[in-house]
Amino acid sequence: MKNPQKPLRETNKKVRPAGWQIVAVALFLFYMLLPIVSTYIFSVATRWDRTILPEGYTLEFYIRAFQTSYFIITLRNSLILSAATILVSLIVIVPTVYWVHTRLTGFKPLLDVLMILPFGIPTVVLALALVQVYNVPPLARSPILLIGAVVVYSMPFMYRPVSNAMQAIDALTLTEAGQSLGANVFQVLSKIIIPNILPGILSGSLLVFSTVFAEYTLTSLIVGAKFKTFPLLLVEYTRINGNIAAAFSVVSFTIAWLVSILILWVGTKGQNGATETIQAR
Amino acid sequence: MPLSKRKTGYTSDWVRLVPFLLFCLAFEVVPILFLIRGSIIDRNTSQLTIQHYLNLNHPLYLNSFLNSIKISGLTAIVGVIFGTFIGYAIYRWPSRRIQEILMTLSDVTTNFAGAPLAFAFVVILGMNGVITQFFLEYFQYELYPTFSIYSFSGLTLAYIYFQLPLMVLILPAFAGIKQEWRESAQSLGANAFQFWRHIGVPVLMPSLIAGVTLLFANAFGAYATAYTLVEAKLSLVTLQIGYMIAGEVRKDPAIGMAMAVVSLIIMGLSIGIYQAATIRARRWSKS
Repeated sequence: MKNPQKPLRETNKKVRPAGWQIVAVALFLFYMLLPIVSTYIFSVATRWDRTILPEGYTLEFYIRAFQTSYFIITLRNSLILSAATILVSLIVIVPTVYWVHTRLTGFKPLLDVLMILPFGIPTVVLALALVQVYNVPPLARSPILLIGAVVVYSMPFMYRPVSNAMQAIDALTLTEAGQSLGANVFQVLSKIIIPNILPGILSGSLLVFSTVFAEYTLTSLIVGAKFKTFPLLLVEYTRINGNIAAAFSVVSFTIAWLVSILILWVGTKGQNGATETIQAR
Repeated sequence: MPLSKRKTGYTSDWVRLVPFLLFCLAFEVVPILFLIRGSIIDRNTSQLTIQHYLNLNHPLYLNSFLNSIKISGLTAIVGVIFGTFIGYAIYRWPSRRIQEILMTLSDVTTNFAGAPLAFAFVVILGMNGVITQFFLEYFQYELYPTFSIYSFSGLTLAYIYFQLPLMVLILPAFAGIKQEWRESAQSLGANAFQFWRHIGVPVLMPSLIAGVTLLFANAFGAYATAYTLVEAKLSLVTLQIGYMIAGEVRKDPAIGMAMAVVSLIIMGLSIGIYQAATIRARRWSKS
C-alpha cells in the first residue's frame, strides 16, 4: 500500500478531501475531543451543572487537588512503579531480542507468540491467577508481585519498538565486527548494539511508561490500598468530589498527551537514524 | 550465519533465553496453568471435577457472560463499521500532515480507557452533563432515565470511544483496495455499488472479521472503565472476577477460576480468528 499508488494519487486532480471525508473526520474529532475538552473545562469551572457553559472559572480545584494528602504519595508510587517496570522490562527484553536476532533466530516465532499472549489474557484473569499462586508472604499481594504482573502486561509495548529497531540494524554483522576487534558480549551490547537501537529503547520505554502510569486493574486487585497509585486516587475521587476528580483526570490526560508527543518525536528521530544507516550502506 | 554457528556451540546458546523464559513462566504461564488446574480440581477431595463449571449455571454468572458478550459484540461491530469509514476517510485524505495528526490522535485516544475516560463521560453525559444539558435546553428532551451513563447504554458509548480509534489504527495494515481495481472495474462499466458489492467488500471481508474479533477481545477484557462507571449496576465477567479477587463476595474461589478459564477460551478464540483473518487479509495487500 506504500509506493505503487502514491504517484497515482498525487497526479489525481482531487487535492481537496471529498465531502463525506470531511463529515466523517469531523464527527470522529467531535467524539474523540468532546469528553476530553469538557473535562479540561470542568476542572476550571466554578459550577457547571445547570447551564450549557460554566457559570464561572476558578483554579480552586487544582489547589485543593494538589493539597490532598495522597496526591504526592500516589504520584510518587506511580512513578516508582513505572520506573521499576521499565527497568525490569529492559533487562529482560533487550538481551533476549538481541539473541533472537543474532544467534537464536529459530526462537523468534516462539517469542512472537509469547508477546501476543498478554493481549489474550484479560488483566483481571492475570490478577486472579497471580494472587492465587503467590499467596504466601513476602510475595502475596506485594508491590514486587505487581511489578512482575505489570511487566508481563506491558511487555508487547517494549518488545515491538525494540524488535523493530533491532531489525533495522544488522545486529549479526555489527556483533562479528566488534568481536573481531576483541570486544566481549557486554562490550558489544553496551557500546554497539544499545546505542544503535536507542530510539527503539526510548519509544518502548515511553510506551511502557504511559501504559503503567495509567494502570488501574492490576494495581487495585493485586495490592490495593497498600500501594496506592495515581489512577486509584482518581477513581476514589470520582466518588467523592467531581471537581477534584476532573483536576486529576486533566493531570492524567496531560501526561498521556505529553508522552505521546515525545514518542512521536523519538519515532521520527529513529526513522531518520534508520534511513541514514541504509544510505550509509 | 555459519561463522557464528562455528564460534559457539548451538546447544548451549538457548541458555541465553533462560532469564526471559523464566520470567514468562513465573508471571504468566505457571499462574495460568494453576488457574486452569484450580478450575477442574475439587479442593477437598483433590479429584477431577467439572462441578465448578456447572456452578456457573446461575443467573448471576450467565448474565455477566451475556452482558459482556453483548457489549463487546455491539461495540466491536459499531467500532468496525464507523472505524472503517473514518479510517478510509483518513487514509484517502490528501494532506499527509493531517493524516499523521489524526493517526496520532487515534493512538492516544485508544489508550485513554480506564478511570479518566469514564469520568470524562460522566462530565458530558452524566445527570448534569454538557450533552444532557444541551438536549434539555434545545430539544426539551430529558435523556434520563431512558439513557444513563451508569448503565449498559452509557457504557456502550464509553467503550466505542476506545474501539473506534483502534479500528482506525489497524485499518492501514489491511486496506487492500487498489486504485487499479477501481479503475478496471469502472472501465468495465461497473458503478460504485457494483464495485463494492463484487470486489470491495469481498476483499475487505477478512479485514473486517479481523477488526471485529480484535475489538471484541479488546472490550471483553476491559475492566477499569466499567468499574468506574457501572460498578454493581451492570454485571460483567471482568467485574465479577474482580469482586472475587477483592474478596467483596464470599464465594468459592473455584467459581472465579472457572469464569476466568471460560473468558480465556473466549479471548483465545477471538485472537485465533483475528490471526487467521489477518493472514488472509495480508494476502491482498502483498501482491
